[in-house]
Amino acid sequence: METAWIIPLFPLASFVLLLVFGKKLKESSAYVGIAMTLLSFVFAVVALVDRLQSPTYKAEAVWLTIGDVQLTAGFEINPLNALMLVVVSLVSFLVHTYSKGYMHGDDRFHIFYAYLGLFTFAMLGLVMSPNLLQTYIFWELVGLGSFLLIGFWFYKEEAKAAAKKAFIMTRIGDVGLLIGMILLFWQVGSLEYDEIFRAVEEGTLSSGMITLTALLIFIGAVGKSGQFPLHSWLPDAMEGPTPVSALIHAATMVAAGVYLVAALFPLFTASETALLTVAVIGAFTAIFAASIGLVQKDIKRVLAYSTVSQLGYMMLALGSAGYVAGVFHLTTHAFFKALLFLAAGSVIHAVATQNIEKMGGLWKKLPLTGPLFLIGTMAISGVPLLSGFFSKDEILLATWASGHTVLFWLAVIAAFFTAFYMFRLFFMVFAGESRSEVKEVKESPAVMTVPMVILGLLAIFAGYMNTPWFGTFLGDWLVEGNAALGPAHVEGPAWIMYVVTAISLAGILLAWLIYGKRSISRDWLTAKVPALYNILYNKYYVDEFYQYTVVKATFFVSRVVRFVEVYIVGGAVFLISGIVKVFSTLGSWMQNGQTQMYGAVAAVGLALLVVIYALTGGYIQW
Amino acid sequence: MTISGYLTLALILFAIGLYGALTKRNIIVVLISIELMLNAVNVNLVAFSKYGIMPSITGQVFAIFGMAIAAAEVAIGIAILIALYRNRATVNIDRINSIKDEF
Amino acid sequence: MTGEFIAFMVLALVAIMGGVLLLNFKNIIHSVVALVFTFLSLAGIYVLLSAEFVAVVQVLVYAGSITIILLFGIMMTKHKATHTEPKSTWKKILALLGVLGFAAAFYLGIYNLDFGAEQVPLHANNTEQIGIALYSKYIIPFELTSVVLLVALIGAIVLARKDDNKEADDK
Repeated sequence: METAWIIPLFPLASFVLLLVFGKKLKESSAYVGIAMTLLSFVFAVVALVDRLQSPTYKAEAVWLTIGDVQLTAGFEINPLNALMLVVVSLVSFLVHTYSKGYMHGDDRFHIFYAYLGLFTFAMLGLVMSPNLLQTYIFWELVGLGSFLLIGFWFYKEEAKAAAKKAFIMTRIGDVGLLIGMILLFWQVGSLEYDEIFRAVEEGTLSSGMITLTALLIFIGAVGKSGQFPLHSWLPDAMEGPTPVSALIHAATMVAAGVYLVAALFPLFTASETALLTVAVIGAFTAIFAASIGLVQKDIKRVLAYSTVSQLGYMMLALGSAGYVAGVFHLTTHAFFKALLFLAAGSVIHAVATQNIEKMGGLWKKLPLTGPLFLIGTMAISGVPLLSGFFSKDEILLATWASGHTVLFWLAVIAAFFTAFYMFRLFFMVFAGESRSEVKEVKESPAVMTVPMVILGLLAIFAGYMNTPWFGTFLGDWLVEGNAALGPAHVEGPAWIMYVVTAISLAGILLAWLIYGKRSISRDWLTAKVPALYNILYNKYYVDEFYQYTVVKATFFVSRVVRFVEVYIVGGAVFLISGIVKVFSTLGSWMQNGQTQMYGAVAAVGLALLVVIYALTGGYIQW
Repeated sequence: MTISGYLTLALILFAIGLYGALTKRNIIVVLISIELMLNAVNVNLVAFSKYGIMPSITGQVFAIFGMAIAAAEVAIGIAILIALYRNRATVNIDRINSIKDEF
Repeated sequence: MTGEFIAFMVLALVAIMGGVLLLNFKNIIHSVVALVFTFLSLAGIYVLLSAEFVAVVQVLVYAGSITIILLFGIMMTKHKATHTEPKSTWKKILALLGVLGFAAAFYLGIYNLDFGAEQVPLHANNTEQIGIALYSKYIIPFELTSVVLLVALIGAIVLARKDDNKEADDK
């Protein structure tokens, strides 16, 4: 574990190397990126194995001393960090590999890999940070990486707009995080996680202050993890290349928000209000995004809304004091969501469109992608024995145990929606007859399918590290020796599991009836309540709402400020420059080369002196 | 009769001369104005020689020196004027501004 | 209201009128005539100040030679009788303000000045007194003045001479 500091440095090296030599390496840049992330992954696994046997390792050095305050920099390998390191480096490695096939032929191939390296470096650095300041630095680097990658195809107007939107909306959250950090620093006098938790435990912090800081930090997480009301950047971020979507959704960007809440979990548990807020926002986001996902027609947007919804689940878990459930779902979700995105990328690669209306009948044409997509779909829908089943079950148990019945049923309905829209997507893409404009549909090359196969296996089996049947290894290990994180496993009534399974299967059945067997007309409900359909299809008009409130208000404020700038500040500047100009014009007018003028000025000067002398009697008295 | 009357007369003449020297365009008028100022000075000297703190003949001697210098000054002034007129063909002082750098 | 005062007032008025007129005449010859009036009245002022010799010199040098030199200068150059350019009024205002301020400040200093007249017989044998002073106490400045006059003479000739050889031949 002592060598764990090197893990984030590999992607950084990849970034620097590709910036310098990328032009010469061209497409072989991929090998640099792949090799570096593979090394990261290997070291991350080593660190994880180490951590399984030995206690938490923490190394820090003083970075800045300001008065009595010492700011430190270093790294910490606790169970959460070790797990995140492995997940992030693994997904990143697979995405690097996959991108070699997906981005083949792009002019800025090496730049893409350089950005991927930067993004991975930022996320790996984030999950190793032992203090909030370091976290914040990497947090912003993650934001930068996402901005660069979403806007990678910057010649597309939508991509440019999406990149800006992602940056600005997460920025809103970042302001909350920053204020929370500053408040914590003011109260605790340190940004170390350990110090903060000690202060919480010893009661140095007032309960109001705990709630305030926790909520502010949660705002940061809301922005980063695409929770309502700052979720709208995430579906727009689909304008980036598909591997980037996979990386953002599975491992890096959105996971950062959940990670932050998990890392500061003892702070949140100290405040009932904060926990409840997290849970409510999570549950609302889960069902809100799932309902939008029901009607979207863009394959990547459906997946994006499913991510928002699943992130809502994780927040709900954390807000219900289900630390293990949240982290567990974060891990399994990383695998099956990465799988889904890569498979979706493979589909897009094959039919050159993202509109699911123009797909269909791809099951036989894409013999590998199809089954893999099915695995991902089943996992996310919570079909028994796959990873999503176990983690989702864990979340629902935690929610039930916390006593929030309303939230529990909301989550159950969201699970139904999830199963329905995911299988709707699956049937639209793979079943039925082809509606594609592309005649010859070819399976993706091995460099793209192999990562998918690995993720497929993980999507099936990752759940078994924490099951109520075979043992809760992950949970035990995560909370070991840290009472603040809650129990390793929440016992709940057994009917929950059956209900959830039944609900998921009902969703799948309904999707099959509508889109697979077509025994129910597709526009059965749409025709009856078109208003509902329109609201959902337009994402509850959230973007429009923001456009007419926040954006317009900002424009208004900007205009006022511009008015101040132009007429008041600018006027003052103009006045000063005008005064100077008048004096200089006077000066140059006097310097007209005529001795008489010079004489006149001298005489007037003398007269002034004489007058002053006469009035003051020789010296000036004030 | 006190000194202040003479001094006031000299002051008025000096002020007229100064104004003329600073504003008139014709070089000859400027020269005349300077003569007027010199005369005002002479009036002061002679007035002080009679009504000053230590009245003596010295003031008058100084006035005579002043006149000699004034005569020399006028002679040189007119000579310069003629030389200038030959080069520039003008007596307008506004035109004589080659002291300013042309750019 | 002594006779001296009346004489002073008349002479002073003539002098000031001459000064004002010389600035206002359009024709330069008229200005010189006005100047002559000022010079002559100042000679009268000198007489009032018991300086007969200075008064005589004033008439000789100023009203005589300097006026003649100026007239020569005027005749050798061309003058437009009309002043057509009234442009730099700002300069005039600036100069007027300066001069007025200067005059006002000095007037404050002198309008009530009186050192208490201690009578010295300046008028008795005035020329002799000046002669004695010049040839005894001020002999060196006196001699230097002659040098200055010589230099001015030569300088004036050199400056006013025509450089051109051809024109020199014409002479």
